[in-house]
Amino acid sequence: MSYERFSDVQTVSNRSPVQPFNTRIVDFFLENGLYVSTAALFIVFAVLIPSFSSLESIVNILSSAALKGIIAAGFTIALIAGLIDASVVGVAVVTTVLTGALFQGLGWSLPATLAAVAGAALLMALLNFVLVARVRINSFVATTATSGLFLAVGLAITGGQTITITRPELQSVLLNRPLGIPIAVWVLLIVYVAAYVMLTQTRLGAHLYAIGANPTAARVTGVPVGRATLIAFVLCALGTALGTVFATARAGSTLLFGTAFSTFDLSEIFTAVLLGGSSLYGGSGKIERNLVAVLFLTILAFGLQLLGAKTGVWLVLKGSAFVTAILLDVIRQRRQ
Amino acid sequence: MLETSLTPKTISSASYQSGQDPILETRALCKSFGAVQAVRSVDWSVRRGEVCALLGDNGAGKSTLIKLVSGALVPSSGEILVRGERARITGPADALKLGIAPVYQDLALVESRNVVQNMFLGGELTHGPFGWFLDHARMTREAQRVLAEMRSRIPSAQEVVRKLSGGQRQAVAIARTLIRGGEIIIMDEPTAALGVEQTAEVLSLIRTLRTQGRTVILITHNISHVFEVADQISVMFRGQMVGTRRIAQTTHEEVVSMIVGARRDALSEA
Repeated sequence: MSYERFSDVQTVSNRSPVQPFNTRIVDFFLENGLYVSTAALFIVFAVLIPSFSSLESIVNILSSAALKGIIAAGFTIALIAGLIDASVVGVAVVTTVLTGALFQGLGWSLPATLAAVAGAALLMALLNFVLVARVRINSFVATTATSGLFLAVGLAITGGQTITITRPELQSVLLNRPLGIPIAVWVLLIVYVAAYVMLTQTRLGAHLYAIGANPTAARVTGVPVGRATLIAFVLCALGTALGTVFATARAGSTLLFGTAFSTFDLSEIFTAVLLGGSSLYGGSGKIERNLVAVLFLTILAFGLQLLGAKTGVWLVLKGSAFVTAILLDVIRQRRQ
Repeated sequence: MLETSLTPKTISSASYQSGQDPILETRALCKSFGAVQAVRSVDWSVRRGEVCALLGDNGAGKSTLIKLVSGALVPSSGEILVRGERARITGPADALKLGIAPVYQDLALVESRNVVQNMFLGGELTHGPFGWFLDHARMTREAQRVLAEMRSRIPSAQEVVRKLSGGQRQAVAIARTLIRGGEIIIMDEPTAALGVEQTAEVLSLIRTLRTQGRTVILITHNISHVFEVADQISVMFRGQMVGTRRIAQTTHEEVVSMIVGARRDALSEA
């Protein structure tokens, strides 16, 4: 019995060419459901609320999406590398508190304040990196712990007080509107374009996907796993700091993260990222979908607010979206 | 015909003729872990352009020997010679520079990435300012060329590895070593988890590698596979090299008796 005879046998594909109709429907929704529902949601609100589709309203939606959008971008980059960075809330607290304390309290210049905020974000990312990549603690556990620590540090600095920012430069610079569009929206777009290029067109991007999907394979093929992990944590922390600085400027005071009145919480970031198709299991995700998912949540929040819905309705819908997002992730994984 | 571009770049001169000089040799190679001597004074030689099978029971020292040669372990004593010259192999990178490339047993593939991405993982080609950007076009071309020359039956270089069969995955893993300049390809139980058809595919791949002038070291438990593709058989037992035979000058029975008979001798000593 010679092996040549076997090699003449045509390989039989395990995928049948015609897929059942319901499979194709599920595939279509997993692929395009996000775009369809976001568009549908916008149309529904535009019909119900006359001013909803005005340029001003759209700019408003975009600028309020900037905070979560920029944070979600960094969060996704880390998630693609298989890292769940729960410390975004803690990083946001430290950022808003430092911005208030240094810029308003100590009268630092805006560049100095921003540099200090970036430095703090780097340090926090470094701590996450050491715990996860060196001490080898599960990323979600480690960053949940560091998030609590960062939050406590933030509260200790201000004693839990909100700092109102009265010096004008922060808002005059950060709330500027080149070409009629707020800087935060420009930054949001630049962050997503840059993240898209990084993930699809650079070695770092290729390495992050590989590390998230199969860390062992990445290591034995010579991928610098430690360096890429550090960069992922740094980008996540810097993104969070950047988004938070804009949100602080917009609010005109330090923000109460980690409380019932937070501007965002971890579940919203998770919801946006998972609705966007990234997986909690790492190794997959398309950053451009994130932006759409963030817009979906922002349009929902805005529309409900304009319709005068009670906060409870928003919270219930938000919670349902989170559960749906997790279910979608699981369905996607099982189908593979 | 074989393209010149695919001939291993590590060949330094024409002095190595196929089947003549050893491309890889070990002399009195030893490796111990504490009191355990996993590899005991092994003299072994592998000729260029041949398929050399390495046989032995579990724990015979095959994998340890391979790890010493491919830089995953450092020898306790003894020498490794590559192309007649004494080689200093202190890590996998050193081995790769000498053209020694192991195909990892678990294949080290990323299932969610496509064939090209897997073949170039950790060694991506770039272009543009500061070499920042991946050269997708060139990587795809290179991948397709190598796969075509391996006569692999992978439908597309853009196919996600998850959708490939076990045999096709082996092909991707081997193609990766070729792209990295692998000349001595080490395969540890490449057919262990495969079905009949896929096994045939892998054996055919090994033959293709051989006709392209590459050297293959094949670790396996399956003696009939060895007789299908190998030129030389080396048998290990309890850390020692029991013997090496040319395939034309031995029989199935002799090889079995070398593995089993050696065991009987050792037991009678005890």
